[in-house]
Amino acid sequence: MKIRVAKKILEANDRIALLNRERFKKAGVFVVNIMSAPGAGKTSLLEKTISRINGKLRAGVIEGDIVGTEDAERLEKLGIPVVQINTQGACHLDANMISEVLDDLPLNDLDMLFIENVGNLVCPAEFNVGEDIKVMLLSITEGDDKPSKYPLMFKESSALILNKIDLAPYLDVNIERIKRDSLKINPELKIFEVSCKKEEGIDDWVSWVIDLRDKGMKR
Amino acid sequence: MHEASIAQSILDIAIRECSRNGYERIERIKVEIGLLNSVHKDSLLFAFNALKTNTIAESAQLDIEEKPVGGHCNDCERYFTTNDIFVFSCPLCGGMNFSINQGRELNIIEMEVK
Repeated sequence: MKIRVAKKILEANDRIALLNRERFKKAGVFVVNIMSAPGAGKTSLLEKTISRINGKLRAGVIEGDIVGTEDAERLEKLGIPVVQINTQGACHLDANMISEVLDDLPLNDLDMLFIENVGNLVCPAEFNVGEDIKVMLLSITEGDDKPSKYPLMFKESSALILNKIDLAPYLDVNIERIKRDSLKINPELKIFEVSCKKEEGIDDWVSWVIDLRDKGMKR
Repeated sequence: MHEASIAQSILDIAIRECSRNGYERIERIKVEIGLLNSVHKDSLLFAFNALKTNTIAESAQLDIEEKPVGGHCNDCERYFTTNDIFVFSCPLCGGMNFSINQGRELNIIEMEVK
């Protein structure tokens, strides 16, 4: 016997993502899902971002790693609520993993929640977790061919942050090519050039994301 | 590695639909997967075959239909499809003014049950 099914394979994830989203909305918290390859500087970006937000807005972090708590410990030093998810091998966070830790965060007391996804340029882009925006971080040391090799993440993101820009003089990387190719994939992409180490360009990104939150603009 | 999550979702949905329709065994599941999802066919089959053991889908075969990337070009007013996941310009006329509307499919189409 043949049965027509016609169902979206990731419907379970999308359903839970929608529930997460409703919880975030109700609590008035703006959620940013940060994705990048391992070592691009997600935790450093969060340290610099949150230290600028602290005092103006209340931020929290969900930290996703395959194993370990090193990144969460770094962020806890900023005096904000941090929850660690260990995916035990899975290469991305999904909506259910996020849903399971939401009770561990004081959601109603937060204005912004940053979700640091597992370092990976492919899978995190597939799984909505209920976020308002996805932000992609790319360190320029990764090379200028990344938009053409991993187009989905560039397509799904609202902003692209190019990190380690201070290293440009020492690299052969063509930053204009990264920008050009990224914008071809996603013409609405907002691009920032930053150096977390030299604390350059961070203010632009931070005021952009705060502004977006204030406008309640959803993508 | 997202293939494992996708394989598990396929099994969850198929098993639920099979039981809901009053059948006991799944023999074949057909899915369509767009190239833009970067799903590796062999990895998906490997994960599916590992996860199906000890379920009512134990002897089920997974048929994967890969869907090309497709779009419409506003310059030449034609529809196109391509196996290239990175479309910079219309493959037919080279125009830059186009939209992509196919290639993100990730659906279960049908299944055979007993």
